Amino acid sequence: MSITMDVDGDDYKPADDFSTTNDYEESPPQPPSSDGRDSVAPTALSPPPPPDSSAQTPAPVPQPKPDTPYRPNYKAHLMLSGHSRSIASVKFSPDGSMLASCAADKLVKLWDSETGDIIHTFEGHTEGVSDVAWSSNGDFLASASDDKTVRLWSMEDYTERKVLYGHTNFVFCVNFSPSSTLLASGGFDESVRVWDVSQGKTLKALPAHSDPVTAVTFNHDGTLIASCSMDGLIRIWDTESGQCLKTLADDDNPICSHIKFTPNSVFILASTQDSTIRLWKAQTSKCVKTYTGHSNRTYCISTDFAPGRKHIVSGSEDMKVYIWDLQTREIVQVLEGHRDVVLAVASHPTRPMIASAAMEKDLTIRIWIDQPMNGA
Amino acid sequence: MNRVLANTLTSPYPTTIQTSLESYALNVRYDPSGRFLAAGRQDGVAVIWDLDTKGQVRWLDGHVKMITSVDWSQNSRYVVTASKDWNVIIWDLASDTELPRRKATVRFDVPVVSASFHPKNSQILLVLTSFELWIVDLRSEYKGQYELAEVFDDSDEEGASQRARNGFATARFDPSGKHVFVGTTSGTLLVFNTRTKTMIARHRISGAGIIRGLVFHPSGRRLVTNSSDRVLRQFNLPVYAPPTADDEYIEQELEPTHRFHDPISKVAWHNMSYSPDGEWLAGGAADDAAHKIYIWDLAREGLLASTLDGGRELLTDVHWHPSKPSIASTTNLGSIFIWHCPTEERWGAFAGGFEEVDENIEYEEREDEFDIEDEAEIARRKMLEEEEDVDIDGMIEPATNGATNHIRPNGEDDEDTLWALDDPDDDVKGWKLKVISDDDDTMM
Repeated sequence: MSITMDVDGDDYKPADDFSTTNDYEESPPQPPSSDGRDSVAPTALSPPPPPDSSAQTPAPVPQPKPDTPYRPNYKAHLMLSGHSRSIASVKFSPDGSMLASCAADKLVKLWDSETGDIIHTFEGHTEGVSDVAWSSNGDFLASASDDKTVRLWSMEDYTERKVLYGHTNFVFCVNFSPSSTLLASGGFDESVRVWDVSQGKTLKALPAHSDPVTAVTFNHDGTLIASCSMDGLIRIWDTESGQCLKTLADDDNPICSHIKFTPNSVFILASTQDSTIRLWKAQTSKCVKTYTGHSNRTYCISTDFAPGRKHIVSGSEDMKVYIWDLQTREIVQVLEGHRDVVLAVASHPTRPMIASAAMEKDLTIRIWIDQPMNGA
Repeated sequence: MNRVLANTLTSPYPTTIQTSLESYALNVRYDPSGRFLAAGRQDGVAVIWDLDTKGQVRWLDGHVKMITSVDWSQNSRYVVTASKDWNVIIWDLASDTELPRRKATVRFDVPVVSASFHPKNSQILLVLTSFELWIVDLRSEYKGQYELAEVFDDSDEEGASQRARNGFATARFDPSGKHVFVGTTSGTLLVFNTRTKTMIARHRISGAGIIRGLVFHPSGRRLVTNSSDRVLRQFNLPVYAPPTADDEYIEQELEPTHRFHDPISKVAWHNMSYSPDGEWLAGGAADDAAHKIYIWDLAREGLLASTLDGGRELLTDVHWHPSKPSIASTTNLGSIFIWHCPTEERWGAFAGGFEEVDENIEYEEREDEFDIEDEAEIARRKMLEEEEDVDIDGMIEPATNGATNHIRPNGEDDEDTLWALDDPDDDVKGWKLKVISDDDDTMM
């Protein structure tokens, strides 16, 4: 792997390794110029450069400059097979030791994230499972299914602890509050339900959207719930009162497929089915970053902050996993290997490890580990 | 967090009852995080309520007679209960079991009136029994029970006669934990140094009668007393010098800055509680016909701002939430009322980009509002805007309920504080109460 660098050092670009995927912003080789900054903006708007442009690699620069952002170098590490139909979601446990996955084969599986061994398979759902979520202390796993239920699984003895009835149509997404006392779920009945975990009862049913709810999540202190839907809206709710506090909407209302709060809950990372990921500032309802280059027109593909929180990672319908730099919005790495649409990605809570999983023609979960380029 | 988004102004004090929890509770305390409520019951059980779910999450079953007081450690891991059954129990909520592990049981030979944690170290307790006042130190190095006793001037005849009838009616640590304040049956306020256990001040409060209750302002610089003359008095506290070797103490009369009472019905008070910012005081009235909480505005000379009416169940205790405009009060029938300040549903929030206005406003069109701009230019500007770095880790919120935790009047390195922090407890931030799901699935 080699890296090219602008002469003025303002910016540097990935080179040959990524040259096959050229549909992302990349400045064509430029003559040395003193105003490297000015050249960035127009290039971003111009059509992608011809594929051969990045092939002309100048002399490799051995070490990136200290002030340049870190570029990950994820390499395939493990391949986990076990599901027999499309895998919809993968999530690392809070301590990172395990990976939970769910699929259209009605099963929830638990894997050892170190060795890739299967630990347990949870059977119980009578239809496909769309989402899984861990409680913050790792005691429970919740799964959302097309059988209209959310199930709570105990991690102590791997048993089904509760079946949450209430949704009147497919349940599509689920998440615990930071204290793990509450659970929020959303689904095709267009509602968001807030559950009491210890009792297994609905506390609130919010008539949240006018189309299926595709993601629901709590903020860092559990006082807010954010939901997004195929109606293209992102809504922020007050957990205690259940009142709507805010609605974020883009002008074109593209179907919103996944949202996630930033660790400080100031921003919401939202994926929409116009092949775009946006970072919204919740307070001002303003989009502050746009990430493009991947392909997402049909499925609800999940997005996450990559380990280290300096990058964004997302699945894609072109069977790849994309990693962007959070600040510069450049694609810094593309992971290839899956043989179908990558629906699910997840970041390890402490280690530089990413899990991804794909649909029918692939059926594998892949674990990628960052291996710094200069052997550091 | 959500106050950042909710741009409507809400009242600084609660106005209506949000929930009533059936608990047989006599007294109630919010934990310092505001997530839980501990309620002491007539039958000797203390119940921990989770305010997110309004459900009972722990059942502290250890006493055989009524619970007289409950208190929380600074990071909510430990709860101390005192009971008429002569026992004080410290419970560890971080234990995995449904009945939390007892960290310690301290037994006395008379009923216990109250027990509270040292604000900085839950291994130091202040225990008031029917006759005596003790500091119980559970740390191995300082282990022991130390009695706090009033010092009298023996040369004074009056003092000798006082000694006979003086009793302790209430006792509290101040928010720094350096001092213990004691209200006596003869209308005096005694101050002890926690470390040396010596009396450092005696304040006479004229006209007060028995001092039944003490509550500190979050800053620790003020205090309110409740006394048998049915008046709540707020005092500014003097600065106490470190104790001297020859056990000298200050003898000083304190003049209240405010007196709060109901001049018409002349009700007595069960308890009082400051708002988190210390700008408001809530008083729970011992009214014999109604559940009434008086709210006074301290920023406006202690003006009565509101009287909350909670119906016919009589009030027994009141406690203000540590960070929100919310109050918990208990009734003689055992309910816990959670008072809150309702926010109006803002329907404009359902539509993106809309702003609700209270009155019609004349819209002023900006000079360039409808100019046709080159799309490429817009896109370019957007790209430039997006160049700006975002901070996704840093917290935007200043700590909201900081007063008690962050005020360090004399720095952290004075002797009294160091003494209290020596051998710290394991009540560390970030522990989580394990969610226990009840097995009898009633939802089927």
